[in-house]
Amino acid sequence: MTIADIVREAAEERPVSASSDECLKCNVCNTVCPVLRVTDLFAGPKYEGPQAQRYRMAGLQQIQGPDSVNPKSPDHSVDYCSGCGWCTTVCPAGVKIAEMNSQARGRLREGRRPKLRDWGLAQTDLVGTMGVLFSPFANFAFHNRVVRAAFELALGVHRKAPFPQFSKRTFQSTWKRRQARRPDGGTTKTRPGPDKAVVYFHGCSANYYEPHVAEAAIWVLKRNGFETIVPEQVCCGLPLISNGLYDDARERACKNGSVFAEYARAGYRIVGTSTSCTHTLKAEYEEMLDMRDADTTAVSHATWDICEFLLDLHEEGRLDTNFGRLDEDLPYHAPCQLRSHGIGLPALDLFALVPGLRAKDMDHDCCGIAGTYGMKKEKYPIAMKVGAPLFEKVKASGATVAACDSETCRWQIETATGVRTRHPIEILAEAYRAADKAGGGTAAD
Amino acid sequence: MPHADVVVIGAGLSGLVAAARLAETGATVTLVAKGHASTHWGAGGLDVAAPVGAGTPAEGVARLAAEDHPYSFLGPDVAPSVAWLLERLEASGLPYAGTLDTPIRRVPTAIGGTRRVAIVPAAQAAALRPWDRDELLVVAGPAGFKDFWPAAIADSLGRESVWQGADRPSHVTGVSVELAGIADRNNLNAMHLARRFDDPAQRADDIGRFAAAVRKAAGGRPGRVAVPAVFGLGEHAEAWEELRARLPLEPFEIPLVPPSIPGMRLWHVLRERIRAAGGRVQIGEAVHRIHVEGGRVIAVEMEAAARTHLIRTEALIMATGGLAGGGLVATGDGHIVEPLLNLHVDAPEHDAWLVADALDPSGHPIEAAGIATDAGLRPLAHDGRTVALANVLVAGALLAGQRSLRERCGDGIAVASGWRAANELATDAARTPIGREPLAVRTDQ
Amino acid sequence: MAVPHTVDVLVIGGGATGAGVLRDLARRGLKSVLVERSDFGTGTTGRYHGLLHSGGRYVGKDKLAARECIDENRVLRRIAPASIEDTGGYFVATPDDPDDYVEAFAENCGLSGVDFDEVRVADLLAREPALNPKIRRAFRTPDGSIEPWQLIESTLADAKRHGSTALTYHRVVGMELIGNRISEVTLRDERTGTVSRVWTRFVVSAAGAWAGQIAALANVAVEMTPGKGTMLIYNHRMTDAVINRCHRSSDGDIMVPVHTVAILGTTDIKVPDPDEYEITRAEVVRLVSEGAKMFPDLPRMRILRAYAGVRPLYQPPADAVPGVGNRSISRAHAILDHADQGVENFVSIVGGKLTTHRLMAEQTVDVVAAKMGVTTRCTTAEEMLPGQEAGHTYWLGHRLADHEEEGGGDAALLCECELVDRRMVDTYLDTHWPCSIDDVRRGTRVGMGPCQGAFCTFRVAGLVAERLDQHTAATGLPAPGAHVVDGHGPGTGALHAAIADRALTGFLRERFKGTRPIAEGRQLQELMMTNGIYVGVLGLDSMASAPAPAVDEESLHAAR
Repeated sequence: MTIADIVREAAEERPVSASSDECLKCNVCNTVCPVLRVTDLFAGPKYEGPQAQRYRMAGLQQIQGPDSVNPKSPDHSVDYCSGCGWCTTVCPAGVKIAEMNSQARGRLREGRRPKLRDWGLAQTDLVGTMGVLFSPFANFAFHNRVVRAAFELALGVHRKAPFPQFSKRTFQSTWKRRQARRPDGGTTKTRPGPDKAVVYFHGCSANYYEPHVAEAAIWVLKRNGFETIVPEQVCCGLPLISNGLYDDARERACKNGSVFAEYARAGYRIVGTSTSCTHTLKAEYEEMLDMRDADTTAVSHATWDICEFLLDLHEEGRLDTNFGRLDEDLPYHAPCQLRSHGIGLPALDLFALVPGLRAKDMDHDCCGIAGTYGMKKEKYPIAMKVGAPLFEKVKASGATVAACDSETCRWQIETATGVRTRHPIEILAEAYRAADKAGGGTAAD
Repeated sequence: MPHADVVVIGAGLSGLVAAARLAETGATVTLVAKGHASTHWGAGGLDVAAPVGAGTPAEGVARLAAEDHPYSFLGPDVAPSVAWLLERLEASGLPYAGTLDTPIRRVPTAIGGTRRVAIVPAAQAAALRPWDRDELLVVAGPAGFKDFWPAAIADSLGRESVWQGADRPSHVTGVSVELAGIADRNNLNAMHLARRFDDPAQRADDIGRFAAAVRKAAGGRPGRVAVPAVFGLGEHAEAWEELRARLPLEPFEIPLVPPSIPGMRLWHVLRERIRAAGGRVQIGEAVHRIHVEGGRVIAVEMEAAARTHLIRTEALIMATGGLAGGGLVATGDGHIVEPLLNLHVDAPEHDAWLVADALDPSGHPIEAAGIATDAGLRPLAHDGRTVALANVLVAGALLAGQRSLRERCGDGIAVASGWRAANELATDAARTPIGREPLAVRTDQ
Repeated sequence: MAVPHTVDVLVIGGGATGAGVLRDLARRGLKSVLVERSDFGTGTTGRYHGLLHSGGRYVGKDKLAARECIDENRVLRRIAPASIEDTGGYFVATPDDPDDYVEAFAENCGLSGVDFDEVRVADLLAREPALNPKIRRAFRTPDGSIEPWQLIESTLADAKRHGSTALTYHRVVGMELIGNRISEVTLRDERTGTVSRVWTRFVVSAAGAWAGQIAALANVAVEMTPGKGTMLIYNHRMTDAVINRCHRSSDGDIMVPVHTVAILGTTDIKVPDPDEYEITRAEVVRLVSEGAKMFPDLPRMRILRAYAGVRPLYQPPADAVPGVGNRSISRAHAILDHADQGVENFVSIVGGKLTTHRLMAEQTVDVVAAKMGVTTRCTTAEEMLPGQEAGHTYWLGHRLADHEEEGGGDAALLCECELVDRRMVDTYLDTHWPCSIDDVRRGTRVGMGPCQGAFCTFRVAGLVAERLDQHTAATGLPAPGAHVVDGHGPGTGALHAAIADRALTGFLRERFKGTRPIAEGRQLQELMMTNGIYVGVLGLDSMASAPAPAVDEESLHAAR
């Protein structure tokens, strides 16, 4: 073990709150915070993170101080942190600012009943299931001005907050039907090995709102020689984490963990089409929920974002690069959650393989939605201001399609700009289909 | 895995210069950095050399080159690298004033002291002109801005001692300018102000108020105005032009405590240059480990969520900074280590690191700590003679032997060594073609 | 504030004990003045550990001291709750702590009257996760942390209410005796050089570690053996309760959370001169390694600075008979009636600890009152101190919560680390000018956070200069305190700048003294970054007044 190893180890493995020790008070984090840029309600990452951390009590001491304030989080303004993570990204000393803020936000709610709104926004499976069940009605309601105004009044969800359309059928149910129609009845006796199949984490967005994203992903994977296994799964739990409902989040994590860990241990990669879900699986269970058990770790190490996965294939020379020509401008927004993965911008690298495709990185910090943050009444105006320069750029590009790997970002951009916003995998699928058309159609289905 | 011709670690001035120069020569370069440091903490440059007794930067370089100092082998690179950088900056709309033969003069600072400079951003240049006997200096800043106290600065600059024998304005007066809406703000730092000046409407109003206040304070006398360095980030050129046009006296900016707006302007320009030339700039990617084989670096492993992320490379430039920037770490048992490659560090004995007086004019011996290299910037091993690694070059504050505070040579070393390192590798690349095509040519820049 | 011409009692020393004595004297109707050579609380009081003792540390070897502590602990909670944080405390038996002491602990507490409770180790570890998981047993005691400057201010405010005065920056330079009584004390104003004389009927020395030097002025011998204790201030509170090792006291065996930091102490090294001492690297290493027995992760935690205080330990003369000649109430403190050395109206109170300062004062004033024929009884334990009416104890988050209540944000924060806004500094300067930035620090906590003054010192200096300018603009006169600085150019602006300068450089130098012994890791990086900014961007080297002399007035402004 060299001194360098010791030094490096010293920087790892400490709890998030202890990283406030690293702060040099240099203000670099404040230069990139999108929320600080647009509102006075938030005092910036330096203030809300390592600075305020020193005023939050670590242990479980008896509560002191005025009843209205939680001594573990005496500051309310930290609630305005959107969790975009830019502060952590640029900190030269390795302070985990965004994570610290997230934990502080969680503690704000500790010992109290969650707001109905926050609870509701976090029940993605419940809302999704009911919405799909009654989709014609739900779609009408969720996009009706009067109903939305009522929601805003009663629940605090902004009337203009972007909301997608419920699908007629969940992806899970479609998938199960399809499996059932297979000659082998969908049994797993002849399950392909990890070199020929991946496990798919579809997430709530693909399941309830955008099953076409799942379809595109599965199709592209098949194209490249991978079968897809879709186990039973529940929400990854991120909205629960963001809204401070840690116990519920842990429950989801365990449920998914018990199913996916088995695959992970058998060597399968877990591939997801939502950068938010995959980041949660990779990192947030451990960081935010302190889960370090064998299942959680196994799943974490086996999780891949779909573009990350395809790019890895390409680097191994195994990607089908026979893309057809797509002659178009394609504004691309890299979601905050993608940056947290630390894998660069794989979608852009894949787009570069498609002839004629002029993909352009919008190079904007945050679209504003930040998961469920921008849907909340008091945060919506902030979210819209944060995203405004991005919306301008997208509109100014004149493109008819934009791309983004995260679902809530897509909904935000599409609603604000009117430009159809798709997952990169859909663009790649389109490019393959263009090749097939040009080459006379050889793709399997 | 992704591949680059050269990986540059560190996004300070030396790293940025190296990456920009390399990208220009057609090499595939990826710059990775943990965060922002020196550019965002400094004055915006360019301190080339101003040791005691030197009249111009060129003289300063010559003096230092005669000692055991990086300039002893970087001397010849100073002129071409500085010329190159100034030309590029000018072309990108961020002109600097001064050359290596400009006399070094004292200019006012944000606490009412003076510092010795010769090459500065154009917005700071008016401070360099010698003072006429009848000239007045008005120090004007926004009221309520805690990082700039006009009255205090003016009081201090009115003292002969602070100018250390140099010519100075006969009269200095401070004026606080009331800007609209500031009194109500909860947050107000240099970034907020800079953004105000990026907004044409806001800027017009703010500059109008500055003009009125300065006019009143000047009372018709000739002179100049010192203002805090917050006049625009994205639209600095426009804001500065407008300010110059409307103020009755010629203005100059004074750099403040971090975050440094002049430094950030410089950073943005260089980042854009790198990206425009096809290079990658990845901030927020901390290096986890560097892979060495047969005395050569073969890959850089970055921290990512749940995993690490490898970039294969033909060569590496270490521009990670000194003790302040985090490239050198002082461990608890009295050692100074370079934590990424464990390069041998030249440093004084533990007991000699810091002298007793915090403000000792000769500085602290520990400032000279760093990596000793051969004349080609290759790091030397423990024996002081053998090159430690064949394809690694060291640049910037990480180089041993510079007492940058006393010698005021930090920027000069950074530019000269970054430039030199890039040229060394570009030559190598030309001689022995790297061969492999870059992974994908990004068309988004 | 004017120096009174005649008083009943003159108290020397503005630490907690002196303040307590003044308060008690005043309440008993004795017209008194307290004189302090620097700012209040700059001696041992300002450099102690921050601990409100439960007495648990003494139950083994000095049960009387333990009892005094627990009794006064209760009193202070009643009369000064806002200066106290009710952290609670634990005595933990680590693997290094011998069984015999641990086993006797409970009984010893009982015998001393110290409240205690044995707690389940698992419960304790759940509450305080940074503790050593190998702890065998743990006992909870009513320790707390106490903030001395607010305490002293409140105490003095009560004294003032009852007709007495306290003066800072007035050093006692001579005492004149008529026969066997001190008749007159000569004072020098350290800021102006002015000399004044006070006629007094009695003198009480509460000069702590400096008691010997003071007594010498009246040709009385008091043998003090000052004991240096070094402490380390940690950047964050790894514990919210006071943690003690359950063993015979030794180095580095107690961690006290104080406001936003946690302080590890301490050592005990004899020093000949209470103004001359150094913190050694060896002490730092020892403290950290001992502290790691309580908190295994301690070596990785960031230390902001090291500081040292000097204990006012008293060495009774070798031939003294206990109980005769000096009124040793307990080994913890001693009241020395110097009648036994031929001075009838001079008493020194030595030794002791902050927790028992009120009791020490009471006992001292009992002696004084008796000698002066005053029969009024002591009431200092009965009434809450002024400025303490908050009623509930200090809690960590209050400054942040208050700040948020007032709108939050960082625009007005001069010191961001410690949430000191402009209004707080203005208020302090309104009531305390002329003073140094160090004094501002004590009153507001400016510069006591992780950046150790890097980003707030110049702001406070800027504010000071601005205020001085405003004063001059309004009155046409140089501001008070301006004449302290000599040799600077004409014009009041220059004077003001020089004051701010000196404050700035002096403050940075003083902070550096505490950072240098622990300069490593992030703290060293912070220091280097700060230097880079101050010299590279702000040109401080062009302003630094005289280089730091060996011993000067600045060193009297003892920095924490």
